[in-house]
Amino acid sequence: MIKLEEGRASIQPIKSKLKVSVLDDEDIKKINQAALSILEEVGVLFPSEKALKIFADAKANVDFDKKIVKIPSHLVADYLKKAPRHYTLAGRRPELDAKIGGENGTYFYCSGEAPNVVDLETGERRRSIKSDVENMAKIADYFPIISLVWPTVSAGDKGETAPIHGVEACFNNTEKHVQTESVMDEISAKYTIEMASVIAGGRDKLREKPIYSLLLCAIAPLAQDRGGIESALAFAEAGLPVGLMSMPTIGLSAPPYQAGALATGLAEDLSGCVLTQIAYPGTPNFITIQPAIINPRSGDYFYGSPFSQIASVAAVQLAHSNGLPVTSQFSFGGNAYKLNSWQVGIENVYGHLLSVMAGADMSFGPSGLIEAVTLLDMARILFDREIFQAIDIITKGIEVNDDTLAFDMIREVGPRGMFLGQKRTANELPKLWPPSILFEKSKLAEEKYRNPVEVAHEVIDWVLKNHHPAPLDENVQQELRKIVAAADRDENLKREIRGGR
Amino acid sequence: MNNKELFTKMEQSIINYDKDEAVRLAKMALEKGIDPTKAVDEGFVKGIQTVGDLFSREEIFLPELVMGAEAMTAATDILEEAIKKSGGKAKYLAKGVAGTVQGDIHDIGIRLVTTFLVANGFDIVFLGANISSSLFVEKAKELKPDLILLSALLTTTMPNQKEVIDSLKEAGIRENVKVLVGGAPISQDWADQIGADGYGENASAAVKVAKKLIGV
Repeated sequence: MIKLEEGRASIQPIKSKLKVSVLDDEDIKKINQAALSILEEVGVLFPSEKALKIFADAKANVDFDKKIVKIPSHLVADYLKKAPRHYTLAGRRPELDAKIGGENGTYFYCSGEAPNVVDLETGERRRSIKSDVENMAKIADYFPIISLVWPTVSAGDKGETAPIHGVEACFNNTEKHVQTESVMDEISAKYTIEMASVIAGGRDKLREKPIYSLLLCAIAPLAQDRGGIESALAFAEAGLPVGLMSMPTIGLSAPPYQAGALATGLAEDLSGCVLTQIAYPGTPNFITIQPAIINPRSGDYFYGSPFSQIASVAAVQLAHSNGLPVTSQFSFGGNAYKLNSWQVGIENVYGHLLSVMAGADMSFGPSGLIEAVTLLDMARILFDREIFQAIDIITKGIEVNDDTLAFDMIREVGPRGMFLGQKRTANELPKLWPPSILFEKSKLAEEKYRNPVEVAHEVIDWVLKNHHPAPLDENVQQELRKIVAAADRDENLKREIRGGR
Repeated sequence: MNNKELFTKMEQSIINYDKDEAVRLAKMALEKGIDPTKAVDEGFVKGIQTVGDLFSREEIFLPELVMGAEAMTAATDILEEAIKKSGGKAKYLAKGVAGTVQGDIHDIGIRLVTTFLVANGFDIVFLGANISSSLFVEKAKELKPDLILLSALLTTTMPNQKEVIDSLKEAGIRENVKVLVGGAPISQDWADQIGADGYGENASAAVKVAKKLIGV
């Protein structure tokens, strides 16, 4: 069983001793060149007058009628130079700061944002509500493997302001850095940035210590979302980090080749980075390219393919070659729901293992999400945690020194001897058997170990009952409630989100 | 070339995924004054049926299906005006109108669904992305489709699927049409909750549900 002990939140990135490269220098050069050619000759759709004007003022080639921006390579190079390689995604305490681009290893997210959840009581799937977001944030606060927190599910009972409620739920239930991917319009962005500012103690303090950030997903191929882009500009204006994500589906919204998908993905991401650097130079950016494959029979979106996952690992090198931090890999199975289904396991192991070895600054991680990010099964976080524990152990490699070679012990024990009764074995063996949900002894005669799914549920129940994330001051909580209530009453916001503009 | 030969060539153009050839033959049919309904039913539809069969036998994959459907649509677009004028009706399984709801521009999924349906003998008018409820109602009144297909990718635009259904009720035409919903956050529960007639979790499921709804 894993140790269940109440305490304040902590974070634990995984630093890999082992290294992997997917692309050689020539590959990186070619993909970068292809991305630049795409940006210069094909262009990206920016359906936002604001963004088009920013690009035009910076002398990019803008077609205001078609809303296509073509960015000359020299502009891309000039503006990307302004993006910092190192910065902090801050938590509410320095111990929870994720120092991005440094030597600390890979920080993991619990990501999202699924519309459905497996009910903890009934085991049935249902639409998620705000209390599910709160519970999940609390769980994320508890487990050190999670450094960065998203609303993992949608606050589906809150209508158009669900993304704002989701961010509030996270702020109230974790001290860790909060990021959103669903605040996709400028008005919602401003409400949530205001909340973050109240927590940080003012706009300047928020800029200094950004406890909140945005990840914006492009629309493959080669398009941005109007509201999303304007939200990104609001975050950048506040000095908050803005990440850009591409999710190309190989063979559908990207060419039927991994390299081509990486090129279009990189172009989408860089177009967003360049926009924020033109408007607000020095904005902390990061990128992520998450390819998937289209099932050639059913048309289903399928993330868990080794073709797409290795491409996501390659994106680590592409990002770094452009001086940008990178997030790698999702954490959700293809379409298999059963917790103990082998398909769900294998898809998450090799992808994350390779990303950590490639030196990803961040990675989507233990989230309990399956079915292409549409379903949250909270207990599954324990399953994810097992995988990350294994990755941590594997990527630390092997320590070889006089101590670990243990020649004197070998000489002492000799041929046909037994090492078990040695004091050093007593000290070392427990370290080789880390806490796990897999080997919980069963009380039943017919089974050796308890069903890990049951053990996982027990852990989640314990965390939800016993973990109490350090709360925000009552006056801060009250201020957040006021901001959210104002958003709920804002008719302009509702019209904006429902597309009524 | 007699009519039979022309119809065979039309059929073959779809089987060969040759959009340019299909368009050329469609125009030829108009020039020769051939009954456009026959051109569709005895020429192009036979071709798309073969493509559909090959796909269900797993001898070809989606890219071929898409190419076949695109050739089919290109040809039938040419002949549609003439069919309307002649008062004829091509032997489609059913007619549908498809698009993403207001506020949502993620249309690649519904485009794929449209392709699948065309490849299965449906006549689908693809309205595009970010379609207002009032436009769906307007098109429903104008085109009198058997099906309306509504797609949404975002949880924040999903409610517009309900809005379309409510708008059809207000316009007094809800009973005349079957509404199918789909998209990543959509589920059977949601479809039931908003009073949709069907839900398909992917493109091939959408075809099965559509066929069931029209009683095929």
